[in-house]
Amino acid sequence: MEERLQDLQRRALAELARLDGAGPLEDWRITFLGKKGELAEVLRGMGALPADRRPAVGMVANRVRDALEAGYAAQRELAARAADEARERAEAVDVTLPGRRNPPGAEHPLQRVIRRLEDIFVGLGFTVADGPEVELDHYNFTALNFPPEHPARDMQDTFFLTGDLLLRTHTSPVQARTLERSAPNSPLRIIVPGRVYRRDDDDATHSHAFTQCEGLVVGRGVRMSDLKGTLLAFARAMYGGDQQVRLRPSFFPFTEPSAELDVRCIHCGGAGCATCKQTGWIEILGCGMVHPNVLRMNGYDPAQVSGFAFGMGVERIAMLLYRVEDIRDFYVNDLRFLRQFAGVVL
Amino acid sequence: MKITWNWLAEYVDLSGLTPEQTASDLTNAGIPVEWMERLGPSLPGVVVGRVLSVAAHPDADRLRVCTVDVGAASPLAIVCGAANVAAGQKVPVACDGAVLPGGAITRSKLRGVVSEGMVCSAAEIGLNTKLLPKEQTSGILVLQDDARVGEPVAAYLGFDDVVLELELTPNRGDCLSLRGVAYEVAALYGRAVRMPDDAQSPRLRAGEFPLSVRIDTDLCQGYAAQVVAGVVPGPAPIWMQMRLLAVGVRPTGNIVDITNYVMYEWGQPLHAFDYDAIADGGIVVRQARDDEEVATLDGQTRRLWPDVTLIADGRKALGLAGVMGGRDSEVTGATRTVVIESARFDPLQTRKTGKALQLRSEAEQRFERGVDPAVVKPALARAVALLERHAAGRAGAPVFAGALPDADETAVEVVVSPAAIGGLLGYEVTAQELTMVCGRLGFAVRADGAPGGDRLRVSVPSRRADVAAQEDVAEEFARLAGYDRIPATLMEGELTAGGLTPRQHLQRSLRHFLLSRGLQEVWTYTLTSHAQLEKAAIVEGHPLRQAAALDNPLSEERAVLRTTMLPSLLEVAQYNANRRAPDIRIFELGAVFYPLRLPVEEQPGEARMLAGLLSGRADAGGWQGAARAFDFFDVSGMVEDILDCAGVSRRAVEAAPDTSPYFQPGQAAMFTIGGLQIALFGQVRTTVAERFDLHRAYYFEVDFDALDSLARTRLHVQRLPRHPASERDLALVVADAVTAQQLLSAVRKAAGPLLADVRVFDVFSGGATGDGRRSIGLRLVFQADDRTLTDDEINGSVAAALAGAARDVGAELRAQ
Ligand SMILES: [Zn+2]
Repeated sequence: MEERLQDLQRRALAELARLDGAGPLEDWRITFLGKKGELAEVLRGMGALPADRRPAVGMVANRVRDALEAGYAAQRELAARAADEARERAEAVDVTLPGRRNPPGAEHPLQRVIRRLEDIFVGLGFTVADGPEVELDHYNFTALNFPPEHPARDMQDTFFLTGDLLLRTHTSPVQARTLERSAPNSPLRIIVPGRVYRRDDDDATHSHAFTQCEGLVVGRGVRMSDLKGTLLAFARAMYGGDQQVRLRPSFFPFTEPSAELDVRCIHCGGAGCATCKQTGWIEILGCGMVHPNVLRMNGYDPAQVSGFAFGMGVERIAMLLYRVEDIRDFYVNDLRFLRQFAGVVL
Repeated sequence: MKITWNWLAEYVDLSGLTPEQTASDLTNAGIPVEWMERLGPSLPGVVVGRVLSVAAHPDADRLRVCTVDVGAASPLAIVCGAANVAAGQKVPVACDGAVLPGGAITRSKLRGVVSEGMVCSAAEIGLNTKLLPKEQTSGILVLQDDARVGEPVAAYLGFDDVVLELELTPNRGDCLSLRGVAYEVAALYGRAVRMPDDAQSPRLRAGEFPLSVRIDTDLCQGYAAQVVAGVVPGPAPIWMQMRLLAVGVRPTGNIVDITNYVMYEWGQPLHAFDYDAIADGGIVVRQARDDEEVATLDGQTRRLWPDVTLIADGRKALGLAGVMGGRDSEVTGATRTVVIESARFDPLQTRKTGKALQLRSEAEQRFERGVDPAVVKPALARAVALLERHAAGRAGAPVFAGALPDADETAVEVVVSPAAIGGLLGYEVTAQELTMVCGRLGFAVRADGAPGGDRLRVSVPSRRADVAAQEDVAEEFARLAGYDRIPATLMEGELTAGGLTPRQHLQRSLRHFLLSRGLQEVWTYTLTSHAQLEKAAIVEGHPLRQAAALDNPLSEERAVLRTTMLPSLLEVAQYNANRRAPDIRIFELGAVFYPLRLPVEEQPGEARMLAGLLSGRADAGGWQGAARAFDFFDVSGMVEDILDCAGVSRRAVEAAPDTSPYFQPGQAAMFTIGGLQIALFGQVRTTVAERFDLHRAYYFEVDFDALDSLARTRLHVQRLPRHPASERDLALVVADAVTAQQLLSAVRKAAGPLLADVRVFDVFSGGATGDGRRSIGLRLVFQADDRTLTDDEINGSVAAALAGAARDVGAELRAQ
């Protein structure tokens, strides 16, 4: 009996070593390990053995079964791996071929600047306001301390629809509208990005339509130093952490004192270049402390609160940041120009 | 405003200062110096010479041989080609070795005759010939007799000077004069201003050349005039002419040059009348009568209206107050007696008149910014003194009318608190420091005297009418102390919460969605034209033709506010298609304008639109497969996805065909929700697309404001289903006229609550469906919250759906 088992093991393993492929392997299993296979056949003869012989023969039989099963498992593993490898070889591709693309569009550069401005000022506790582009003379001028026929109105050539309706020349009317709408003397921190119009012929540096971003802060005890600090924070967020700012006296009817804000030239870092006309500084916005007349005319009490305002040209910021040389590029919408902005994080 | 350094030095001590440093300091103090330049070249070797004799050149008809005394031991022989050279003249002579802007001059032979130098023209010595009269620019420059032989010409002409151009803000009308700039420089360096004092007693007898002034209008606050008799018209002294030239004023003769010179000096515009043109020497200041006419100095006849203030005599208009004089009373070479006017005219009306007549003269620009009332009399005295000195005149007594206050009567007191100014600026300001800075500005300061207060009374002279409140004093203090002294701080006190509104977040998410879908964002102009609307098939009579028009457009192309973004997006597509970029996918989020009525009387409605244009290939294809062109369902699907971004369910939307003239019939649709139009999209009519060089284009516009009003801003998540869903596919045959939406709503209505979703998965026409009919394949999804549905339940629901579809839209189950 033991010899039959040993012989079975020898034959089976020898045959297993010669097998190739998954089909013959299964046939082998049925032949030797199946319910009606050779091992079962031999074991069926166990009943004929005397009882004292059965444990020893049983142990041999179990060893043979384990050997056959282990051989089978190992062979199956090999066969499976070979099949996988064959499939992988068949399915391999040229990984250097171009992928199936669906590239994103690019945010318009002016929108990109506005989004960055919004993010910077929202971080400083501001909200974002807007207002109409067709404005009343009152909000565009009078409520901002430009009395009728004041020479300061000449600073802004204006498109009129009627004697009283015009295309806003700046985003500042939203200052007046927001003050007027708010509870008297309640604190305000807003920025107002938006389109404005000037009656200028279009050329490389002038556009009849362009974009401004206004800022207004009103509250108790707001100081000109807060203006400087806020704009310093803005300049650092926009142009880099080591930026410096400088205020220079200026004039706007709706602020007093008024100033222009310069930042260190972002191209030469202050050493002097063509962009900054060798001064090392670049003017980026006008600002000042809200004129008491503006507070008063719009329902706030200048004895109780003070504030500051600033206004910047979005095109100017974009032109400096991205070295755009012609303001009209922003409105021609040449896809070769616009597409370039898909590839930049800031 | 231009000034010269040496001219400025007459009114304020500039010793120890350089033009460069002063320009930089002025700029930092808010008076930006835009530009500076030496007045003229140094002209080494060019001296004043006297022509002793002129003789013909032996070999050249056009040349003369002159002997010229240049103060050297012997006269020079100079060959000269100018026709106007004559013996006795004083002329600029470039001697051997002289350097002119055009090059060096050396002794040379001209047609065989040695020339020991050159007699120069105005242009050759670097004068601005544009402002000089013709007789001084053709041929050689003839100098005035006061030129000393041998004197360097650059010194004689005052070329050793620097011109500075100031860029003044509208509030600093005071710096439209040397006096104003002198006060500014004095404040910067703590120096004193000294203006000339020319008060003189009259030399004419009383009653000789009588003069009277009457003011018959509220728009002239004061008027001073003075007769100067016996004047001799002629050129003004060379130094005066040179200064006027330097600041851009054309010298025309001593009388008018003196009025201009004094205007630059004091900021007070003056006018000179020919006394003989004034009837009875009686000046009247009054408003014009309707249609009254006056011939102005520029040779035009102006028709007037009652708002215009006039200078007149008893019979006729003599000139426009503050704007321009009249031709009939103009000073000429024959004038023997002049009247000089120095007056106060209303800034607003002077500006209005100047604008209406397009006469923005130097005088008008000063009046509209406000002239210091305290200089009316000193400026007149100064002009009269100069006329006596340089035009041989003899002055009568000045005649005054109206309010002509002296400086000590016009100062305004402003009460300030150093603590409040410090609070405004953000650093500590002491009373002592404030008093010191005010002193430099020439503002007297005294304590208010109120007990316990720190308040000061600042007396602001009328030359600085822009300083009227504490904030103005704060600015004066801050700019003289230097804005660099302001520290950088952040706001203290009240809290404000920053952030974006839901509407702003929606804008961001829509942009983000479209960008990820590969659409490029564009920005186009809002000003367009009727022609552009017409080109986009928005014809006369269409509601979108109701565009708000500008009253003063710069061009026809930008004359109305757009009512739709279609034309501008087509233009962008055209521009790029013509530059080999035919695959267009673009969008813009911007404003369109709907006037409530035309002509516009009130603010038009401003709607925010999200519009896009798709043209060319949706998929460019490549080695993996064929290209695919955009079709209607690209644009409709895009709109559906846009609604999804706002949480607006497609099921809430009513879709209907749209018949806008710019869309291809049968290829356009409109989405409404509860009657509110939310989107419009479709294929642009091919005839329109072709006008923009496009083959096929698909346009969509979503009313952003409508979408915003419907947008979901809150979310309570739904529990995930705990029981499996079951699906059933149905192929239903309907007439072509039945829309998918009609079929879907019939099925939804009839199927009952177990139907969780239904969608179209197939559309097929032709073959067994029969003519005029198509088969629509629907996938129905059934689900219940609380149980797994049985086949019986699902079959019941399907049967109900089929019955409803048959009843409502005549649908039949397609034969298998
Ligand atoms: Zn630079």
